[in-house]
Amino acid sequence: MTTAPVAKPRTYRAVPLPPPANMLQRFFTTIMPPILLGILLVLLYWWTRAQLEPHRQFLMPDAWSLWTNAFALPEVRAELVDRALVTITIAVVGMCISIPIGIVLGIIMFRFHVMERAFFPYLVALQSIPILAIIPLIQSALGFGFMPKVLIVALFTFFAIPTTLLLGLKSVDRGVIDLFKLQGAGWPVILRKAGFPSAAPALFAGLRISAGLAVIGAIVSEIFFLAGRGGLGQMLINAKIDFKYEQMYAALIASSALSISVYLFFAWLGNKLFSEWHESGAAPT
Amino acid sequence: MTAQALTMPPENDPADTSNARSETGTADAPLSFNHVSMQFPDGTEALDNVSLALKPGEFVSIVGPSGCGKSTLLKIASGLVKHTAGTVDVDRNHLGYTFQDATLLPWRKVMPNVELLMELRGFPAAERRRIAKEQIDLVGLTGFENHYPKRLSGGMKMRASLARSLALNPSVFMFDEPFGALDEITRERLNDELIALFMRQGFTGLFITHSIPEAVYLSNRVVVMSRRPGRILDVFDVPFDYPRTPELRYAPEFSELCGDLSVSLRAAIEN
Repeated sequence: MTTAPVAKPRTYRAVPLPPPANMLQRFFTTIMPPILLGILLVLLYWWTRAQLEPHRQFLMPDAWSLWTNAFALPEVRAELVDRALVTITIAVVGMCISIPIGIVLGIIMFRFHVMERAFFPYLVALQSIPILAIIPLIQSALGFGFMPKVLIVALFTFFAIPTTLLLGLKSVDRGVIDLFKLQGAGWPVILRKAGFPSAAPALFAGLRISAGLAVIGAIVSEIFFLAGRGGLGQMLINAKIDFKYEQMYAALIASSALSISVYLFFAWLGNKLFSEWHESGAAPT
Repeated sequence: MTAQALTMPPENDPADTSNARSETGTADAPLSFNHVSMQFPDGTEALDNVSLALKPGEFVSIVGPSGCGKSTLLKIASGLVKHTAGTVDVDRNHLGYTFQDATLLPWRKVMPNVELLMELRGFPAAERRRIAKEQIDLVGLTGFENHYPKRLSGGMKMRASLARSLALNPSVFMFDEPFGALDEITRERLNDELIALFMRQGFTGLFITHSIPEAVYLSNRVVVMSRRPGRILDVFDVPFDYPRTPELRYAPEFSELCGDLSVSLRAAIEN
């Protein structure tokens, strides 16, 4: 005896293809959403500000006073540029330390499994220590100069580099490695011709993370180190002390811009290097 | 393809001394496995006393259940994996090897991909380029030299992979299920192209596949292997002349041989 129910077909009509989206429609689906959300955020800011008692409204300066008391003043603009240069220098020098050491460590961990076993727990530990908590110790040990700030940036940015490189190197296609071995290639050749190109996209993902953290690390370190001619972090604190909140906002905007541009630089570089061949890249036209 | 060739019974084939030879291995065999066994470190046996000798210019296919150690046999021949008993006689300097995947380097265009093995062997750049161009033409990828692998179809990737191995002009060419992932139409076409390459280059072929018709269509001999630990259960001689044409696939003799192989393979899976 069969158990399948008797079919009761109904008709499904064809759906004609919609006409291709024109410029206006594309504008509404791609460019409008972020603009609308931006407007919403500005309204939210304005509404929150309106809720504040008048003597506390300095906490949220309006656009006009931000312009007249900060960005329109040449000395403030000059200070922003100077201090941004100081901050970016700390961030870049810090990364110049963490990137090479991180890459070398990643290679060592890949080449010698024992080293991975040895180092990995400490890498995770390093990532887990709140770096802010050891800044006072670094101050006591190394003083208030340039190098301790660089060291903080290096600590902030280190973790992502060996870990992403190791991940990339480990995911090199087994067959590709066999292919090299069959021709008698030694591991330096395999690393150079198969490992690095294959791991580069993963490493660049790590570099983008590190780049954002580098600027954050630099600013945080400056907030702790107020002696000497400091960067944007020091400007934030000075503005608070001098009760110049428009300037504080200006410094905030500048720090964000700095952080975003460093991120975008690595994103652009990665895209330029890999988009043609990597699956994540845009299809070439 | 002549009518005689189609109907020639296996016992009339002059090449039908293979079973006797494969038991001992021969001096002129470009590749021979002599009582090869292989155990994994955990004690599982992958291969059990496999003896097989390929005659110069012969094309042999191996079929067998999944995980029976067919691929391990190729890895042993190439030295990627070490066998634990028996001997293998092979010239590893002139060994071609294609894998299940095309294993092209995704960051290299077709041309430098085809040059890769020559590059690793230290060929001068000009010679590399000349040979690569030749092989690309030979596998029908002319015009795609500057494409990245991600823009090639599965069949084209496999062609590039073949060209890469052919560039070293191997005397023994091993294939580990190279067309397994391709659609039927592409696979049949690549089978014909492979036969053309085989006839032109004159290498000795060892081909792993899951497809009985593919094994019969390509080979002089088809070897059936048992479940793990892999042993050789049966060797079938294929009497059809080269070049083989697509019509052969629909000849009664072809079907009959495939049927016999299928019975043998089912027995291999069951016992």
